[in-house]
Amino acid sequence: MTISSERFTAIVEAYGAQPARWPTEERTQALAYCAAHPEAQAMLEEFQMLDDMLDQFSVADMSSLQRNVLNQVARTSAGNAFDLLLDWLVPHSERLMGWLWRPALVACLPLVCGILLADYFSFGIDGVQNSREEELYLLSLNDYTETFE
Amino acid sequence: MTDDQELMTAIQAGNARAYESVVKKHLKSISHYAFRMLGNTKDTEDITQETFLRLWTHADSWQSEKAGVSTWLHRITHNLCIDYLRKDKSAITSEYLDEHEADERPAERPDKEERLASLKEALAQLPERQRSAIVLNHYHGFSNREIAEIMEISVDALESILARARRGLKAELLATMGSTSVDSKTTVKNHRENNKK
Repeated sequence: MTISSERFTAIVEAYGAQPARWPTEERTQALAYCAAHPEAQAMLEEFQMLDDMLDQFSVADMSSLQRNVLNQVARTSAGNAFDLLLDWLVPHSERLMGWLWRPALVACLPLVCGILLADYFSFGIDGVQNSREEELYLLSLNDYTETFE
Repeated sequence: MTDDQELMTAIQAGNARAYESVVKKHLKSISHYAFRMLGNTKDTEDITQETFLRLWTHADSWQSEKAGVSTWLHRITHNLCIDYLRKDKSAITSEYLDEHEADERPAERPDKEERLASLKEALAQLPERQRSAIVLNHYHGFSNREIAEIMEISVDALESILARARRGLKAELLATMGSTSVDSKTTVKNHRENNKK
């Protein structure tokens, strides 16, 4: 199967003179067409000049770019402490409107902590009553001598 | 599961090592593409950083059955560059021409430098999509289907854009350099006339 001269022109105009850049499925036919037609070779040479010029366009050195690209993620991860706390306390979930209840759960955390601390440090006002024997023992420790004088 | 899939799954889980692997694999191609689109290092660094930040934050939007990681990253860069260029086209064009390359070669002949300057000017004059198509085709070795995926157009539309880009470049170079080195119009014309016969 051969390609038409119009198609060969379209390929070279679109993809340039290097067959490696031509569409894979048409490359063989295009090369065969070029070999058989001198004017196609002349066209190829002319587009080769443009390719050669394009090849001269080198890129500036950006030596610090990789470091910056890697550091920006480290900064993002370390910078958002609230997100880290959220992730640690309540793992990600797509269900139950996670975007709403996850912050709500975290907001409840100080309340829970307060209740636990108050319960732990409630000095002498806990609900445990002294027994009758313990009260009698404590009364016996008082000094009543001054009341008889 | 392919390497790309494993790495992207790890990035979705917040694995910084996987992120580093993908960055090292694709940084050169992404930054070179952005540089040839924008023509200056400052904007190139901004766009490249933004591209890889999106890799980190939007890794879950990558779909393995639709595109490879390289194609997906180049599509992000393409969209960022197009948006950026459309915001302030005039400023970008002047910066594009002013930027000096780091690997300058002082021994180069003046005519070669002139031709390079003309080429950069001609590239800067191309519409953004034509510039993107020719950069992806000429420098990055993507197939026509991959470039069409990156630019989110059909292969036929891509061919049309590429042909216009090359014709535009040649016309611009002819205008700036005269017809001594790239005396192309006559050859293409002859070829087309032969086709008609």
